[in-house]
Amino acid sequence: MDVSKYAALFLAESREHVSACNQLLLEWERDPGAVEPVGGLFRSIHTIKGMAATMGFTGVADLSHRTENLLDALRHGRAAPRPETFQLLFRAVDALGRAIEGAGTGSEPPADEVLGSEIDTAAGATVGDQRPGAIAPSANQTRPVQVTIRSGALMRGARASLVLRRAEAMGRVTALRPPAAQLEREDFDGRFSFRLESEASDDEVAAALCTAGDVEAIRFEQTSPAEAAIGIRGRQIRVDLGRLDALMKQVGELVVAKNRLIVLAAAAQDPLFEELSDRIARLVSGMQGEVIAARMAPVGEVFDRFPRLLRDVARDLGKRIRFDMEGEEIELDRSILDEIGEPLLHLIRNAADHGIETPERRTASGKPAEGRILLSASRERNSVALRVSDDGRGIDRAAILAKARREEMADASVETLTDDLLLRVLARPGFSTAEAVSGVSGRGVGVDAVMTRVRALGGTLDVKSEVGRGTTFTIRVPLTLAIVRALLAVAGNERYAVPLAYVAETVEFDPGAVTSVRSREALLVRDRVIPTVHLRHLVAGAAGPAPPRRPTIILEVGDRRTALVVDALMGQQDIVVEPFDAPRGMPPFVGGATILADGAPALILDAAALL
Amino acid sequence: MPDSPTLHSVIFRIGALICAAPAGIVREILPRLPATRIPGVSEAIEGLVNVRGSLLTVLDGHVLLHQERRADDEGAIVLLDVGGRRYGLAVGQVLDFLEVPAHSVAQRADLPGVDPRLVRAVGLRGDQPFILLDVEALFAPIIGADGQLP
Repeated sequence: MDVSKYAALFLAESREHVSACNQLLLEWERDPGAVEPVGGLFRSIHTIKGMAATMGFTGVADLSHRTENLLDALRHGRAAPRPETFQLLFRAVDALGRAIEGAGTGSEPPADEVLGSEIDTAAGATVGDQRPGAIAPSANQTRPVQVTIRSGALMRGARASLVLRRAEAMGRVTALRPPAAQLEREDFDGRFSFRLESEASDDEVAAALCTAGDVEAIRFEQTSPAEAAIGIRGRQIRVDLGRLDALMKQVGELVVAKNRLIVLAAAAQDPLFEELSDRIARLVSGMQGEVIAARMAPVGEVFDRFPRLLRDVARDLGKRIRFDMEGEEIELDRSILDEIGEPLLHLIRNAADHGIETPERRTASGKPAEGRILLSASRERNSVALRVSDDGRGIDRAAILAKARREEMADASVETLTDDLLLRVLARPGFSTAEAVSGVSGRGVGVDAVMTRVRALGGTLDVKSEVGRGTTFTIRVPLTLAIVRALLAVAGNERYAVPLAYVAETVEFDPGAVTSVRSREALLVRDRVIPTVHLRHLVAGAAGPAPPRRPTIILEVGDRRTALVVDALMGQQDIVVEPFDAPRGMPPFVGGATILADGAPALILDAAALL
Repeated sequence: MPDSPTLHSVIFRIGALICAAPAGIVREILPRLPATRIPGVSEAIEGLVNVRGSLLTVLDGHVLLHQERRADDEGAIVLLDVGGRRYGLAVGQVLDFLEVPAHSVAQRADLPGVDPRLVRAVGLRGDQPFILLDVEALFAPIIGADGQLP
């Protein structure tokens, strides 16, 4: 069998298992007496071994097998879960990850015999220990079981159900593919698979399952990735992201065409045409929603790598840090998710390195010796807020201000750094207050790199910090990049799109409510003073006089607000962000461009730049 | 005897100047399209136009070459590939597609009112001189060096 075409599937599934191994190891390390993580680790390593053996990746299979032996020794008390054992297991999982990446991309790295020997020694390996190739389950071990119901058998679903009942009588059944509901509907080709944890031998299991009747074959083999894919058809499939991107682009163009159609239908005043246009609009909106949903993935997919990373960073720094995560289930567009990992990594490293103090210093200042970093995600209107908070020393504003003055980033008249100003100083390229490069952070490429990446995603960055209490960085990004709902604002005869993600409300500009804050115009809206920006002034060049009644868009990012005074509003529209070659000197408040329903290009305003 | 190399050029008029761009970088000739102004950028940027669902940044040849628009200009956009990116050059009128023997085009010469750095060569179309523009030099001060916006 040519298995090379399943390499991508092997890679994707093995990566998930490696990620799971890291989570489980962290869990186990925190509570060495826990039983659950060991079982999970065993299952993941065993699955990797089976898949690698099927694919002919002997190095991966061998390392998995040795790791499995160590886990077995730990599970049965032949080895003790000591800190150095956990470190060895982490190294084994890292090495597995590297071997999987290499194997999956056509260059399996040579085996690390030193590591292999260390694992064997820790496991107390015996001579003649069986290597993969013949994966024989030991007592009470989990084994893969593949069942084929005879073709032409009546009520195949019921047969499958009987087989499963027999299996459940012998032990624990997991990882059933296809799922039970699909089997019940007889929506399968006669083959199904599961994992059975039982003390019974293969022969005993086979004999018991065959009593269900109409069983053509029982195999105790790992389902090949291809077979696994067949088994789950109709439920979940892996789709190349490039295809989803292409689909999204097509839907984007469809949305532009739909917008244009609505305008034409309204102008034609033909009821049939309008009805057809409405129907097409509904269908396109539905399709748009489905495609966006298909591209969404939980932020947990990015978060999952941080606990392991932070554990290593804390070890390197000699600090005790508890890392918590919240809101892992919150979803973001895949393209944003792919870009957000790096900025979060910067912020988490900074928090560990600069934020959290050493245990001694924390104890001396009356804090628990163990510091805490919290990574959280939450939905805010049409955006997602990702926060990295620490309970460390906080940012020393006086020190930052002094350094900013020395480097002529702030003039002498600035007495204190507000959060906004603090962020602007921190985000200056090359700015760092670290006295030495620590190997973790402090190279002066942190916050500016985060800011650049976040802005490129149409997002914003905020900071709040209190000396002695800690620091919170908040990244806000839109749910999706390609299609956004926007409010159309007018200045003169020009139209601009304002993404709804950052629109809190619209009010009418009331000259009687105008006030001033630090010699800057502001608007009093329900007892709140909000600085104003006039779109006409901003885009200097809008033709014609300003109308007497002007709507005002209240933009909101976090707890910051700005009142954008415009000439008129033209309603909402789904807009597709279109790429274009930006000319030199384009102002920061231009966040992109789109094509409106009438075919005219319009610029998209970047709310963050207006705040 | 081998043929003399031939220079393929698209000839257009900008104000009073007859100009040419190498045909190899001309992707399309478009009619004049309504442009959306981009605030804050050089006035040589006419704006963004919609070309069959894609956005194109258009530069105004008249501003770049300090030429007055003529009342009888039809207006056209020459879509050019400059360093792998596409830009539109707004011109008064596209006149011709010309094949001339390379030896009949002279190296750049000083022309009154035209920055010599923008001239790659000069040639003759009948008895009328034309300027083969150095398009990269013409666009360099205007177009971004920092890539596309999302």
